[in-house]
Amino acid sequence: MSVNYQQVYSKIREIRSQAQAHQETLRQRREEARRLLETFDHKTDWLRERLEETLKVYPDLRCAIPLEHSLTARHPLPQTPPPEHTLLAADGSQIAPDRHAAVLFAMINIGLIRLQPGSGQAPFIFTESQLLFDEELYEDGDLLSDGMLAMRRDLRERALLVEHAQKSPRPAIALTDGPLELWGLKEAESTDSYRRALEEYLRLLRSLRGENVIPAGYVDKPMANLVMRLLEIATLPTEKLKDAKSSYPLRGVTDRWLFGERGRPLLRAGERSAVFGLQSRSRQFYREEIALHFFYLNVGDDEHPWPVRVEIPAWVAEDPTLLNLLHAALVDQCRQMGTRPFPYLLHRAHEIALVSYEDKRQIENWLTIEQRSMGWETDEDSAKRVSKEGSYR
Amino acid sequence: MGSAIEVGRLLRASSREFVAGCRVSQLNAPAFGALVSVPLRADEQLYGLIYDIQIADDGLVRQLVTSENVSDEVIRDNRERRIVPVEMSVLAVGYAQNGQIRYLLPPRPPLSLDAIYLCDPDEVRRFTSGNLGYFRHILRAHDTLPVGELLASHLHQAAGTQADPQAWLQRAVQEIITLLRDDYATLMEVLSALREVIA
Repeated sequence: MSVNYQQVYSKIREIRSQAQAHQETLRQRREEARRLLETFDHKTDWLRERLEETLKVYPDLRCAIPLEHSLTARHPLPQTPPPEHTLLAADGSQIAPDRHAAVLFAMINIGLIRLQPGSGQAPFIFTESQLLFDEELYEDGDLLSDGMLAMRRDLRERALLVEHAQKSPRPAIALTDGPLELWGLKEAESTDSYRRALEEYLRLLRSLRGENVIPAGYVDKPMANLVMRLLEIATLPTEKLKDAKSSYPLRGVTDRWLFGERGRPLLRAGERSAVFGLQSRSRQFYREEIALHFFYLNVGDDEHPWPVRVEIPAWVAEDPTLLNLLHAALVDQCRQMGTRPFPYLLHRAHEIALVSYEDKRQIENWLTIEQRSMGWETDEDSAKRVSKEGSYR
Repeated sequence: MGSAIEVGRLLRASSREFVAGCRVSQLNAPAFGALVSVPLRADEQLYGLIYDIQIADDGLVRQLVTSENVSDEVIRDNRERRIVPVEMSVLAVGYAQNGQIRYLLPPRPPLSLDAIYLCDPDEVRRFTSGNLGYFRHILRAHDTLPVGELLASHLHQAAGTQADPQAWLQRAVQEIITLLRDDYATLMEVLSALREVIA
């Protein structure tokens, strides 16, 4: 038994003893959040000014930028069937270089699926498996880190989406799982390779505008409380704005709760929220037509609301026709999945892209055999790896 | 084998039986009780009877069945693109070597990904024109297989390929009675099923 259950049990007892106080605090904060929402609902101009003030002392702030006349604006599911369109989704997985393995390699595996809703046709499926070996495993002199590999994977996902969207009937919707923003570790953002990848990504994102392709990032169970953060900033007196970084008076109250509270969700089934701008550290890169925006969408039903965040570039946010198309397509995709709403196409892209441990072993063996047959010097698994896996090869 | 219908490829095998996988789009060809063959070498092929067809599910399929409205595209995606094969279990009933059919277990089982073909009427007639000794492979499995249903289905399909279907059926039933003469319960079960196909 590797877990000290006695210790865990004691901690759980402690958590339990605090549960009532915790619930009471949360109830009070939620009440306060509702009150603030009511107070600031139509004061969006004032909120934007307050935000600009805060950014002068706290430029890394991450929150919602109110754009519509009301924070609580709701848009119903479009009733008219969407025009003919193409849906594409891409997802990726990777094998990171493992210094304990007999052979050093990495792989980026991208799965892409394209479907024509209403066509009755089976979708088109595409997989790209990029094996990285030898010099390809190094970036700026260092062995590829998990973060760099993930960034390359994200970039390739998006490049393939653009490539295939350009070959598809338009309008097209190009979906990715997670934020539209290119993922990057804070420490990686200062590297040349990150900057190169970001520039390439921004170029790809811009290129979609003229192609009538709607890029969208689908964030299931979002953790970032962007609207709540905006309300927190709104409550701070001007002289306290410099403390915004450490001031979280509504901690624990989530955007998911606000838009999808059971019994009285702000968004009814199938409705989307107002569109907000996305204030984040990377706003300086995503400018003008590709400035990042988002809306919440309740893809659940009346008994079980399920608000998700959908990220889009400015040129989609500003076009009600494109917004309605994306809105209707996402709800339709989620409804295909029954009781656990999630876009069917994103699920399939993930399924296609997934590299299993068995796949990794297979490629490793293949590479080792090839190296041996060519007379290359080969290495062995580390003793640590062999011991952990409990097998000797 | 140029015009033969491929119904799947081998997933796993033993000397007595094997399992083939196929796409859902191939499923209109094979049927319960059908005779199939697997070419092992140029002069050797194995014969078997399909005794079970299983449609597997997975997490996604289980989730999709809870949806009120699954689109045609999603249904076709699951049937044609996803890696959830239909599995056919086949009982080995004989093999052919240099053109000679033997109702014995094959010298070796087929290998992974060997193609499985549906036997055409000529081949079925050729295989079933001997002494029908292959019935013992079916009857031996009476504890685990629905032998009555399997024999009824096979006899129905095989009789249709014979020059004199009634005479062949009578011979087949006589052979079954002989083989089951010491097992009254199984004999009654099999004869009850055969009543469905014998006028």
